[in-house]
Amino acid sequence: MLNTKSKLKWLFVIVTGVAPVFSQVNPEIQLGVRGLTSFNTDVGADKATSAVNDFSDTGLLLGFRQKLYSRFRGQFVIGFQFPDADSDLGQLFFHQTFLKVEDKANILKMGRSRVRSSLIEFPTLRDDDALSFTDVLNPFSSGENTEDNQFGNVLELTHIHNQRYWLRIHGEHFTRTPLVQASSETDFSLNALGLSIEYRVPRTQLWNRPIVQQIGFGYNNYLMKKSQFADEYGDVLRNFIFSAIVNLRRDPVHFWDLRSQVISNLGFDEISAIDDYYSLTRARSIGGLTSLRYIYRKLERPTVQLALSGGYKVFPDLTNKTTQTQVVGNVFYRLGENFDVGLQVQYLAYNGDLENLFGENEMRFQFGLVYSIDQLWNDQFDDRESLLNLEHGYIP
Amino acid sequence: MDRRKFIQTTGLMSTTVLFPKVLLSNSAKSANKDRFPKPLEPVMKGDVKEFRLAIDIYQQEVVPGFKFHTLAFNEQVPGPEIRVNKGDKVRVVFKNNTELNHTIHWHGIYVPWRMDGVPYVTQMPVMPGKEFVYEFVAEPYGTHFYHCHWGTLLHMQSGMYGSFIVEDPDDPIKREFPYEREYTLVYSAHDSNFIRRELNSMLERMKERMYLMKNGRFDKERFAVFDTKDEFVSAVNNGYQPPYSTNRRAPAELAQPNWFTVNGKSYPMTPNIYITEGENIRLRLINAGGEEHFLHLHGHDFWQVCDDGLPVPQPWQMNTVRLSPGKTIDIIIEGNNRGLWTFHDHDTRRVTNNGLYPGGNLLALVYEDLPSSEVELDPMTQKMGLNALPLVALDE
Repeated sequence: MLNTKSKLKWLFVIVTGVAPVFSQVNPEIQLGVRGLTSFNTDVGADKATSAVNDFSDTGLLLGFRQKLYSRFRGQFVIGFQFPDADSDLGQLFFHQTFLKVEDKANILKMGRSRVRSSLIEFPTLRDDDALSFTDVLNPFSSGENTEDNQFGNVLELTHIHNQRYWLRIHGEHFTRTPLVQASSETDFSLNALGLSIEYRVPRTQLWNRPIVQQIGFGYNNYLMKKSQFADEYGDVLRNFIFSAIVNLRRDPVHFWDLRSQVISNLGFDEISAIDDYYSLTRARSIGGLTSLRYIYRKLERPTVQLALSGGYKVFPDLTNKTTQTQVVGNVFYRLGENFDVGLQVQYLAYNGDLENLFGENEMRFQFGLVYSIDQLWNDQFDDRESLLNLEHGYIP
Repeated sequence: MDRRKFIQTTGLMSTTVLFPKVLLSNSAKSANKDRFPKPLEPVMKGDVKEFRLAIDIYQQEVVPGFKFHTLAFNEQVPGPEIRVNKGDKVRVVFKNNTELNHTIHWHGIYVPWRMDGVPYVTQMPVMPGKEFVYEFVAEPYGTHFYHCHWGTLLHMQSGMYGSFIVEDPDDPIKREFPYEREYTLVYSAHDSNFIRRELNSMLERMKERMYLMKNGRFDKERFAVFDTKDEFVSAVNNGYQPPYSTNRRAPAELAQPNWFTVNGKSYPMTPNIYITEGENIRLRLINAGGEEHFLHLHGHDFWQVCDDGLPVPQPWQMNTVRLSPGKTIDIIIEGNNRGLWTFHDHDTRRVTNNGLYPGGNLLALVYEDLPSSEVELDPMTQKMGLNALPLVALDE
């Protein structure tokens, strides 16, 4: 007769149809938490002033990782965050749910995760504060949810050469909004394919990198026939991304760097006006964002960070001359370990067709608190980018 | 015929019989020799014996299938054995090939105080790429050891220790218990996860600090080094956050050892101690780790003859000896009970490999004159494909 534990095990096997589960080897458990709340005041040239208490982008990530029988490691990550107040994603959005298998030089990732619509991160209060410049916009999205541009169902294979050269090929299922009735084409079928090549200095070698931190190139193809979109203009929407991060002053106390990313959306020739979000994402455009950042690090930790970012985007094929400008300035002060207070000011200006959609300009003032945690339990093996593994021989 | 004579007679008779091949083959004995600290040969400079020690980051295979990064003197864990005569003039040229700070402390030796190797008390740390020359006269007689005294909690369990034997041509122990063979056993306990986390953390910090040091910039609060206690207290009163408070720079948890080694190896790769009937052997036991060990020999009593290197006034007979951190104890085993005997920690938590029994500091006392007939297995066991004792068992 089976005891209770055995019964549960067999029940699990029956339900999942996979091999029995054993519990002798503890997984590494990783917890990532970001609490982010801000008081926003928007002042628009042609809009009423608004005040919002915003806690979007607050989220939690839980990861489980262990060594596999060979040189590989397996990982499962699940996480959620609070979407923007005006999104239709509900109270919680599960932005990360993926499995990963990796060895020293290869990574296979499958599941929902950050899509490769961007190559680098920018120093803004929230990840989507300068979305039109930081990310290739999702051409299947109505624009209601910024998360549609950042997260998708991902199948990604990465090869790392000589510790610093990252080659990725990836396919995604980008969310289509508004949602349509599920079908084999809309579920999780790939509606984008791309690749990227990056030179990237590992974070742990921060003080070994004289000038270049990162240089990257990405190429994305959105398969417009998929997701029940007719090939109205063409089969494939193509984008290129170029990115670079350079050190201006590599100093542990007064650190300066500069980062820039340019996105060229080849668009469809037929689009000569922007009258909705779909056409915004599909019109030919070229835009770039550049950030200058200063970090004062008093006791080997960031104490103050100042950043100034400026972006400009032009849509050359439109009948009306249309441009978009954004300037973001912010300062963060560390109140304690991992706990920051920040002030951010954003200025956005539109003309041409975008002025009709978003107004002429907008100022946003934000006062925020940010608390980030990254904790590991049952630590059992090293990371690929640890100094021991990078400089003293990799131990699987 | 008394028992001893009977044993000796049967021992002589059995010399014509096949001995256990597995234990006594040349290859087995040669491999076993490698499981003891290798002697470091001096170069005579006038009347001074000069030794050279260099420290590097190295990968130690504790048992097949498990490696971790260590700090190793001359690429050995433990470091090489330094053996001198009482009264010798000794010079040790220590070269730091790592990106970490180190010193060497001569544990139990009457060195001049500036040679004692305590950073910021007797000397400045030996910084990356630098050399330091230790000079002293070798005394007192006995079993001693050397170890790093910088970041001692991490650096010692990472492998920075080695035996230092001061011999006396008129050895008092040899006079009382005549012996020809002796063995050095250096015990340690390692939290491989703590070592990995802390080494990485220290390496990251040191890269940053070395950048500043190269530029001649030193900040007392940043480096957490003050001239006086008053200066430190004053800094705290003025808002300085010491590293043990809210500005941690290291893992929060203290080490919880999961590997227990003798001469850098865990069972089944621990050394065998060879003896023959009627022979006395001397074991020099050194605890270079942070855990207590209660070493028990099966089938025998032994004589404790030295404590911290010094001959005890009256040798003490026992079968279990307590070896505390920092202690050295010498014992004499009389070969008076032929067989294969285990010599192990009776705190059986230390007889484990990563939590699994058996493992750790379990080793065997092997009578070389044991006839093969005594190690044979019964026919049923032979049918399983097993040949003779001792077997390597990894899971009981």
